[in-house]
Amino acid sequence: MNEYLPYLSELLSEALSGISFILPEIALVLTFLLVIVVDLFIPGKNSVNTSAIALTGIIISAYLNYQQSLSIEKGLSLFSGSIVLDRVAIGFKLIFAFVTVLFVVFIKGNTALKRHNKGLGDLYMLLPAVLLGLNLMAMASNLLMVYISIEMVSIASYLMVGYVSGEGKQTEASMKYALFGSACSAIMLYGMSLLYGFTGTISLSDGNIIAQLSHIAEPAIALAILLTLVGIGFKLSFVPLHFWSPDVYQGAPTPVTAFLSTAPKIAGFAILIRFLIPFYGYGAATGIQVFDFETTITVIAIATMILGNFAAIWQNNIKRMLAYSSIAHTGFALMAIVAIYQNGIRSLLFYFTVYAIMNMAAFMIADQVEQRTGEDDVRKYKGLGKFMKVEILCFVVILVSLTGLPPTGGFIAKLFIFTSAFEKYQASGSVWVLSLLVTGAITTVVSLFYYFKIPLNAYLREPDREYPVSSGLNFISYVILALTILIIVLGLFPSILA
Amino acid sequence: MIPLSHYMLISAALFSIGIYAVLSKRNAIMILIGIEFMLNAAILNFVAFSKHDKFAASGQVFALFAIVLAAAAVAVSLAIILNVYKYYKTIDPTKIDKLRD
Repeated sequence: MNEYLPYLSELLSEALSGISFILPEIALVLTFLLVIVVDLFIPGKNSVNTSAIALTGIIISAYLNYQQSLSIEKGLSLFSGSIVLDRVAIGFKLIFAFVTVLFVVFIKGNTALKRHNKGLGDLYMLLPAVLLGLNLMAMASNLLMVYISIEMVSIASYLMVGYVSGEGKQTEASMKYALFGSACSAIMLYGMSLLYGFTGTISLSDGNIIAQLSHIAEPAIALAILLTLVGIGFKLSFVPLHFWSPDVYQGAPTPVTAFLSTAPKIAGFAILIRFLIPFYGYGAATGIQVFDFETTITVIAIATMILGNFAAIWQNNIKRMLAYSSIAHTGFALMAIVAIYQNGIRSLLFYFTVYAIMNMAAFMIADQVEQRTGEDDVRKYKGLGKFMKVEILCFVVILVSLTGLPPTGGFIAKLFIFTSAFEKYQASGSVWVLSLLVTGAITTVVSLFYYFKIPLNAYLREPDREYPVSSGLNFISYVILALTILIIVLGLFPSILA
Repeated sequence: MIPLSHYMLISAALFSIGIYAVLSKRNAIMILIGIEFMLNAAILNFVAFSKHDKFAASGQVFALFAIVLAAAAVAVSLAIILNVYKYYKTIDPTKIDKLRD
């Protein structure tokens, strides 16, 4: 033990100097503790106080993140390289905070959750905790931090899915999610242990990783990397690790589904980028290639896009359909990962901002329809266009954006990714990248078939039952309207995000 | 001294047993036990490798964190399985299939 004594003061001072850079995370920890105490003693009617404190804490943390984005130019490595704070991480953190705020709003507008006899205090308590996990996922730069942050988000997600277990379906969804998730993270941990054994370090920013790995037999490296990718792939729900997501998305309460299909998925991409840096960056610098990530990810992306889009055609349940649509979007975003050398990361951040807005909006509208008419079947949307005028009109705009047609943000986002992938193709001339581009274009056309089932039913078919003339707008309707306008504004002026 | 390869063989065997249990068992608790096997295989690897680490710390720290997180995940999963039993009166995952296309 004594040989560490000389280093002790150095380690301590390094840890202390890092604290000023994790203020947004400290704010979230304090919020988490405060929410527990407030929920115990003064929750208020319908957990009003609890939700107000959770929301305030999240907004304060988002503001601190924004402050960081102004002051930080270069990437900072903190706490002996466990986390990295750079502009990409801050961008991801701002997206997560935005999604979580929308999630709070969404919970407040959901009557099924509100009526729950346990109250919503525990759900609000989970929010700062899960946001902390997401932030750490965005910053993680060693394997330990990757594992801890993924588990933090996973455990909170299992609880959120099973939270209102008012019926069998929900418990079923949470059990499938928990078992599949735990198995995937166990497999990932084994892969990480092998990587640690091969390289002798758990850091992902260590330049020696590639040099160390080049002494190991290639099949062993491939095994370790593939096992590690299983855990990340579970969060991203790419093929072949996607089959939990339609079931879980259908069974979970709609606000939770909206959140799960947005924030943890984007965080999974943040982790994937960090995980790829040593292999892409240092690998390219030294010219040693230990594992062919490009081909692996291209194959996964193609399979994910095809399966997500084609399976969505056969779905009639709106939540299942949006689940497959989010799988398809994962495949599309993987295209940007392949082209990450060029403007990949910038276009990816834009894509995720737009994706977060449109996905949250789509689930909010689906939830509004379900609350007012009791329907979650797309075939029963007949004639809804006259009943819920504003919501369905917004839905059409959001679906246009999800497909990727102008003049919406979805079009610009897809255009950016296509452009960076095309630049990559011109630079490398690889057949894989070309097939990726072709698949992306074809599946975009395929996605029209299922997205436009909704306006088809809502506007062109006659209703088979009577609706009152029109229903008024409520609080969530205004949020939906604001998000829809935001999507169009982003489509017309994409530069406001840059 | 026991060579490193012996540890790796045992952990590979543990991992395979765990995967087999997860894929073949028809009982949610047995699946959890299989997951525990896989986690412990990884933890054994970490501890064994950390003997050859220059600081001899990161592997052991990793093992400690993994043990704690595994306990947390199992606690949550057991609560969820208990809830499933309340509604379905079974914990056989193949019989719990109300959610489907």
